Amino acid sequence: MNGSQPVNLRMTVYASLFTALVIVGGYISFPVPFSPVPLVLSDFFVMLAGLFLGPAWGLTAIGLFIFLGALGLPVFAGGKAGLAVLFGPTGGFLAGFLACVLVVGLIAGKGRPSVIKDLAALIAGNVVLYALGVPWLKAVLNITWGKALALGMIPFMPGTAVKIIAALGLAQFLRPRFTQIISSRSGMRE
Amino acid sequence: MDQLNVFHYMHKDSVIHRMDCRIKLGCMVLLSVTASFASTWADFGILAGVFAAALLGSKLPVAALLRELRFFAFLILLVFLVHSFSVPGQPVQSVPLPGLTVEGVTSGLTFAGKLLLIIILCVVLAGTTPLSLLGKAVEWFLRPVPFIPEARVATMINLVFVLIPLIFSQAGEILNAQKARCVERRKNPVKRIIFLAFPLLFQTFKKADDLALAMEARCYSEKRTKAVFKATPVDWGILIFSAAVFLAVFFVT
Amino acid sequence: MIILETRHLTKIFPDGTEAVKDINLSFREGEFAVIAGANGSGKTVLVRHFNGLLMPTRGEVLLEGEPITKNLVRARTQVGIIFQDSDSQIVGQTVAEDVAFGPENLGLSPEEVAATVKETLESVGLSHLANRRPHLLSGGQKRRLAVAGVLAMKPRIIVFDEPFTGLDYPGVVQVLNQVLSLHRKGHTIIMVTHELEKVLAHADRLIVMHGGEVAEDGPPGEVLGRVGRYGVRQPYGNRPVETMTWIS
Repeated sequence: MNGSQPVNLRMTVYASLFTALVIVGGYISFPVPFSPVPLVLSDFFVMLAGLFLGPAWGLTAIGLFIFLGALGLPVFAGGKAGLAVLFGPTGGFLAGFLACVLVVGLIAGKGRPSVIKDLAALIAGNVVLYALGVPWLKAVLNITWGKALALGMIPFMPGTAVKIIAALGLAQFLRPRFTQIISSRSGMRE
Repeated sequence: MDQLNVFHYMHKDSVIHRMDCRIKLGCMVLLSVTASFASTWADFGILAGVFAAALLGSKLPVAALLRELRFFAFLILLVFLVHSFSVPGQPVQSVPLPGLTVEGVTSGLTFAGKLLLIIILCVVLAGTTPLSLLGKAVEWFLRPVPFIPEARVATMINLVFVLIPLIFSQAGEILNAQKARCVERRKNPVKRIIFLAFPLLFQTFKKADDLALAMEARCYSEKRTKAVFKATPVDWGILIFSAAVFLAVFFVT
Repeated sequence: MIILETRHLTKIFPDGTEAVKDINLSFREGEFAVIAGANGSGKTVLVRHFNGLLMPTRGEVLLEGEPITKNLVRARTQVGIIFQDSDSQIVGQTVAEDVAFGPENLGLSPEEVAATVKETLESVGLSHLANRRPHLLSGGQKRRLAVAGVLAMKPRIIVFDEPFTGLDYPGVVQVLNQVLSLHRKGHTIIMVTHELEKVLAHADRLIVMHGGEVAEDGPPGEVLGRVGRYGVRQPYGNRPVETMTWIS
C-alpha cells in the first residue's frame, strides 16, 4: 500500500460534494415568472453532476443521495425522507435523477466537449427524467395522462428550461477549471 | 439558511445515545416503514406514543427542537391543505368551503401525520447518533454486499455531512451579499441562478480540493480502523419492541 | 542531525510554470525555521513536497537521509502539514472524530485510536470540547484542532502554512503559544508566513523565497534587513528581532 490514489480520492470528495449540493439544492428556491411552482435547484445540480463528474462518478453521487434518503435522512426536497417517498408519487423523479445523470454524463463526456453536445445531453437527460417521473406519477395516483402531465411536468417546464440554460452557461465557465484541476493533479505525480 | 440545524448531533448520555448504532439504524428503518403504512387512528396513536417516548428518552432538548421545527410545521400544514382541497369526495357539511372534502381532510391528516412522524424519527436518530458512526454502521451492513466499496461509502456519507453546513453558510453569504446589491430587481431567473451557482461552485470546488489534499496529508486510506459494535440486551429489547410495533400496525389494526 | 533535506528540488507544473527551482535546503532536528516570501514565490509549493503531497519534477526530498518516495505513509506521518484554511481540513462531525481520522487511516486498533485521541486533545487543550461540532469553534480553536489532527499521527516535523491568516489577537496568541510548546517538546518546526512581526523572535532561522528560489537563508537578525527587496514587509523601523512576537 503506498497510501494514495490521488485522482480517486479527489473524485470521491467531488462526488460527495455534488451529493451535498443536490441535498442543499432541495432547500433553495427561486420564483420563476409565468410559473406557479417555484424552482428548486436539486435537479440543476443533478445535471451539473452529469456534466462535471461524468457517468460513473455522477451515478455514485446521485446514488448516494437516494441511498441516504432511503435510510430515512431528511435529504429529499423540503426535508422529506424514507422509503415512502421513494415508492410514493414522486419516486419516479428520483429514479429519473439517476437516469438523467447517466445520460448527461454519457453524452457530454464523449469526445471533445462542446456547447451543442452539452445542450443535447441536458435535453436528453431531462427527457429521461420526465419519461420516468410522469408515468410513475400516473400509476401511483391512478390518474389520467392529462392530469399526470398537468401535475408532474407542465408546471416545471419553464424552470427546467431556465436550469438547462444556466447549466450550459456554467459548464462553459467552470469545466476548464475542473478538468485542469484533475489533469494537473494527476500530472503532479508521474 | 441553516434549517438542517435541527438534525445535528447533540451529545447526551441516554439509552438511545448508547444504543448499538447498527440496531438503532435497523429500528429506524423499521419504524419509518411502519410510519409510512400507518392509516388508522389506532396506528397513529401507537406510533405517536412510541416516538414521543423515544424523543423524551433521548434527553434531547425537546422544547428547543420544537421551536426549530417551525419550518416543517409550514410544510406539514401545506401538505394538509393541498390534500384537503384536491382530493375529490363529499363536501364537509359544517364548513362550506368550495373544494373542501371529507376524504380530502382525512387524507390530508394522514399524510401530514406521516410526515410529522418521520421528521420526529429523523430528529431522534440524528440527535443521538454522530453521523460518522451512522456511516460506520452502514459500512457494516454493506460489508457482505459485493462490488460496493463500503469504506468509501462510509467516507462519502461522512463528507456529505461535513460539506452540507459549509455549502449552506456559503450560499447564505452569497445570497446576502447579493441582496445588499439589490439582486431582487433582477428578474431574469437564468442570471439569478448563475449569480448564485457560479461563486458557490467556484468556492466549494476549492474547498473540495483543499479537503482532498488535507485527507491525503493525513494518510487517507480505505483500509481504515473498523468500528467495533457491541449490542447489549437492552438494544435487542428495543429492536424486538420496534418489530412488535411494526407487526401491530401492519397486521393487527 | 539533519532530519529533512531537499536536493535540487524543481517543480514544473503541466502548464509550464516553474514554481520552485533547484532548491537545496536542510533542516536540523529541533530547528525552528521561518520561510517568508511574497505571494507566488513558491513557499507553499515547496513545503507540499516535504511529505509527498507534490512530487518534484527533478530532484528529491530526503527524510533522515532516505528518499520519501520509499515510504510515503511514513513521510506523511513524520511530516505533518497544517494548512492555511482550517475549515477545509476538518473531516469529522465532532472534534474527537476529526482527530481520530488520521489514526484510523493508519489502521490502528479502536483502543489505540481512542487513547491517541484522548492524549492529543489533552495536549492541545481541547478535551472539554471533544463532542462539539468543529464548525462551531472559534478561529483559534479550529486552528488548534487542525494541529491536533496532525499531532495524532505523532509527527516529528510540523509544517505550518500561514497559521495566522484570519485570526484575531487572542487567536494568534493561542496558536503562537502552541507552536512554541511543540518546539520545546522537541518537534522540528517549519513555518511559512509573511507576518514576521508575530513570530520571528522565536525562530532560529529565516529563509526568504523569491521567484521560486531561495533568496536568503540565515539567522533572522542577519537576514531581516534585506527582506524588503523580496516583497516581504519589514516590520516597523529597525526593531530588533527579539521584539517580534505577539506574546508579551
